[in-house]
Amino acid sequence: MDSAYKTSAKKPLLEISGLKTVFPTDDGIVNAVNDVSFEISRGQTVGVVGESGCGKSITGLSLLQLVPSPGRIESGEIRFYRNGEDAPLDIAQVSPKSELMRQIRGSEIAIIFQEPMTSLNPVYTIGNQIAEAIILHEQVDKKTARERAIEMIARVGIPAPTQRVDEYPHQLSGGMRQRVMIAMALCCSPTLLIADEPTTALDVTIQAQVLGLMQELQAELGMAIMLITHDLGVIADLADEVVVMYAGRVVEKGTVDDIFYHPLHPYTQGLLKSIPVLGKTPQRTLPSIPGTVPHPLTLPTGCSFQPRCSERMGECERMPELVGVNGKTENDEHDVRCWLHTDF
Amino acid sequence: MHDLRKYFPIQKGIFQRTIGYVKAVDGISFDIQRGETLGLVGESGCGKTTAGRCLLRLIPPTSGSFIFGEEEVDLAKLSHHEMRPYRRRIQMIFQDPHASLNPRMTVGDIVGEPMRVNRTEKGAALHDRVVELLEAVGLRSQDIRRYPHAFSGGQRQRIGIARALALQPELIVADEPVSALDVSVQAQILNLLAELREKFHLSYIFIAHDLSVVEHISDRVAVMYLGKIVEISDAETLYQSPKHPYTEALISAVPLPDPSAQRQREHIRLAGDVPDPSQPPTGCYFHPRCRYATDICKQETPELRQVASGVQVACHHSDTLELQGV
Repeated sequence: MDSAYKTSAKKPLLEISGLKTVFPTDDGIVNAVNDVSFEISRGQTVGVVGESGCGKSITGLSLLQLVPSPGRIESGEIRFYRNGEDAPLDIAQVSPKSELMRQIRGSEIAIIFQEPMTSLNPVYTIGNQIAEAIILHEQVDKKTARERAIEMIARVGIPAPTQRVDEYPHQLSGGMRQRVMIAMALCCSPTLLIADEPTTALDVTIQAQVLGLMQELQAELGMAIMLITHDLGVIADLADEVVVMYAGRVVEKGTVDDIFYHPLHPYTQGLLKSIPVLGKTPQRTLPSIPGTVPHPLTLPTGCSFQPRCSERMGECERMPELVGVNGKTENDEHDVRCWLHTDF
Repeated sequence: MHDLRKYFPIQKGIFQRTIGYVKAVDGISFDIQRGETLGLVGESGCGKTTAGRCLLRLIPPTSGSFIFGEEEVDLAKLSHHEMRPYRRRIQMIFQDPHASLNPRMTVGDIVGEPMRVNRTEKGAALHDRVVELLEAVGLRSQDIRRYPHAFSGGQRQRIGIARALALQPELIVADEPVSALDVSVQAQILNLLAELREKFHLSYIFIAHDLSVVEHISDRVAVMYLGKIVEISDAETLYQSPKHPYTEALISAVPLPDPSAQRQREHIRLAGDVPDPSQPPTGCYFHPRCRYATDICKQETPELRQVASGVQVACHHSDTLELQGV
């Protein structure tokens, strides 16, 4: 299924360029997302990986103009190609509270979060909550919306949908709640689904169910997925392209095979080596990256990764650009932000 | 402590009484040798944390026994008072390094507290010992006066480990010690735990839901499902050739960080959720989700039995099934 998308000509859906999202704090300005650029094509899955605080979630929220106050998008473009329109819309220029942004949220770009319990309202039945989303975006009456809700609940694989529609979130298990979230996100057939750590709170067998469901629904509805996670296994399972982020910046991006089999940035290499892999003869010592992620207010000069990097050299005192390299697989772009792969 | 082949055999059967019975941990048995790491894996609600807490008597076990040390004392039967001298020999490392350290105590107070409470060290000797512990876990001696908030998650976990080591324990129960940490920091802590095990000759009970982490650190692994151990064997055998269908499904569900292997693997997707432990299914607890289940699985509960050297499994069909590992 995923190979079909790869071979077909890529149609752009979203182009992010130079996105910068900042949070003014008492101690200074935090550049949560700094000069982030990548593209998402229609029907494609782009995985965004990184450790906590690297700006991956804020990137996702920026696309929907949902950055929590006092954060704001300072510069950059988010060009979104809407259905039936040739010219892209720059979401970065749309006011967060505008009617236009409301139309896009939910019906064209939907989001699911990590914790399904806190994202669902405990005092409404799940049927009510799904129907609410449908009524908001489409001119339908309550009865039709309820029928559509039942249909969606069945589609995400929840047994006995006619009964479940009247249940409250607390009556469902974690996996079922995440399915409800997916049903709610997909009820208006969005062209892009942002999934922010969708399975982190779930057990492995339930995670496998939910990931399988997302793949099936993607094949059926043809939507693109922006998958935000720290779990490289989940990325390997679902993503076509991967964006690796560190301290607010993209440090490397490329196809999933390029990133996993020919990583170029020392951070990507270190990350891949430091995870224990099931079934590989256990080594006594894991190669680990020394130190910790820098505090966003006290970023090192030059490349943010340089204090932890084993390949550090003089040039690293300056910030390298994200530049293309010849990817190992044909026709594909592979970009890296590192002096090792940049001409001085 | 001369005999290196000292056993810590554990046999337990625990029923937490409520209106009905929630069999959080339902008759599990295992033993750990000195210097060995036993991994306990399972999904949430399988009773792995409860089992760990019972060992420390943080929760009183309902029944069963826990024979500890070369004295072969049954810790499960001791009174609260009699238990005291043994507490220092079994320590715990917790999951959340933010919640398990008192924010109003300095690192020196946190790490020194077990020694003050047990009156093992005082004054300058206590200070020296704390510094020694901090250095053993990779912190600096000047960190002694700082407060937990000044440290990152990984460093806080190191403080928790230093505290657990303070009384020179023999057994450490580590409950999800790395699941709250970032990937790059997780590797550091796993390495530290392995290093300390060699240095201080510790035994670990390593409780985690992440199978690859458990495989990495453990010598033997016990897989739990709904309060029972369904399979226990040495780590490599378990992952290469699982004998219980639940183990097979768990392994299959772990996404490998290897895209082409991931595309080629057969994915076993278990239907449904873990059943409510207050109303477990009849027979084998796993049968409603098992793709190999037959009539006998619905009626009879399989016992954990030895199928090969060091391999125990609780399945009626373990002799005939050919299950896939990684």
